[in-house]
Amino acid sequence: MKEHVPDRQGIAFVALFILGNSIIYGLAWRAGRDLWLSFLVATGLSFPLILLYSRLHSLMHGQVFSEGMESLFGKWPSRIIALLYSGYAWRLGSYVVSDVTNFIQAVSLRDTPQFATALGFVLLVLWAVKEGAETLARWSSVMIVVVGFVLVFTLLLATGQVDLDEFLPVMYDGFGPVLLGALQIMDFPFLETILVVGSIGALSRQKASYTVFLTGFVLAAFFLMLVASFSLAVLGTEKYTTSYYPIFMATARIDVAEFLTRLELVVGVIFALGGFLKMAVCLLAACKGLAHTLGFSDYRFLATPLVLSVIPGARWLVKSSMEIERSATKVFGISDVLFQVVLPICLWIVAEIRISRHSED
Amino acid sequence: MAILVILGFALVGTVELVLSPRRPWKEVAAYLVLLAVAAAFSVMVTLNPDLPVPQPLGLLFDWLKEIWQGGL
Repeated sequence: MKEHVPDRQGIAFVALFILGNSIIYGLAWRAGRDLWLSFLVATGLSFPLILLYSRLHSLMHGQVFSEGMESLFGKWPSRIIALLYSGYAWRLGSYVVSDVTNFIQAVSLRDTPQFATALGFVLLVLWAVKEGAETLARWSSVMIVVVGFVLVFTLLLATGQVDLDEFLPVMYDGFGPVLLGALQIMDFPFLETILVVGSIGALSRQKASYTVFLTGFVLAAFFLMLVASFSLAVLGTEKYTTSYYPIFMATARIDVAEFLTRLELVVGVIFALGGFLKMAVCLLAACKGLAHTLGFSDYRFLATPLVLSVIPGARWLVKSSMEIERSATKVFGISDVLFQVVLPICLWIVAEIRISRHSED
Repeated sequence: MAILVILGFALVGTVELVLSPRRPWKEVAAYLVLLAVAAAFSVMVTLNPDLPVPQPLGLLFDWLKEIWQGGL
């Protein structure tokens, strides 16, 4: 079944996917007070790769995922690639489930078992995956407005707490920490966008892939930079780099005339919304990839076992909050380099060669 | 707990199969195999929460850690 996603909804889809579960973590903490520079460097370094993802997506234009993969890479190679990315997407989905359930347990539902919160999310994700990318994109186009408005409103309320001196002196420790911070953000969440290529379906026109991916990416990068810089300016470098959820702590300090307080809950809601979309996109990509590997054109019937298995998957892959924080703020993991950088570059080269050969014939 | 997990998966499988009776047999077979794998995996994690995670790229990771002491 072909899916059509309008450009505006596609942009919201990409932006919300990147914002997803990353907003609450201390992104680029290795850069310390220079984290804003890390964001700029990471955006610059990620841009060519996002462009490459857009190109891969545009080459599959007008075809469903399995047709597109087969025409680009041939029958069996495309099935192996789809299986590898399906595993990667499932793993990432499990991590997101773990992120969300750990966060909820840490900040509010202390005595509720993580299994219960995970089940609630997973059932919703199951429905979303069965509905497909069109429904998710439509949902994203509504939610991105809510998320954007709430974030800007919260940041405006907290301007009184911001201390811009926290950013000075610039690059006191040299360029090394800035680069490490940039690599942290590239690994999570910028280059995880590769999974959107396999899940979003057809856009209105072939060139729209570039508009959707690049605009969504820049929008999300800007928002993340704003939120991280704000957290650092409110908390100070020391607290930002040592706390698990800095934005949560920063918004907790907002107090407007002792009337408007406890705004950290708003951040929690944004995290839950973004986390839901990210889980759904990961599992959508996993289902589509596995269906193609097994030779089925429809993926929906595989959704239930794959989606339900992320609950034990989350428990299996992550044992504690410390492990989650470490995985969210590490400097490029080996598997991430493979799936986000090496494989996409190889796939792009192969696809271009095959397409030029076809056009010559 | 493990029995409860198996019963849960069996219930979900039965309900889904009853709700879509015209599904081709290949899809039904793939669905059942995958559901069984998911159930087995859930039971394994339930019985042993410290089940080790395989590291297929572990050797490469160790080698990189050796040459780059900055930490990954």
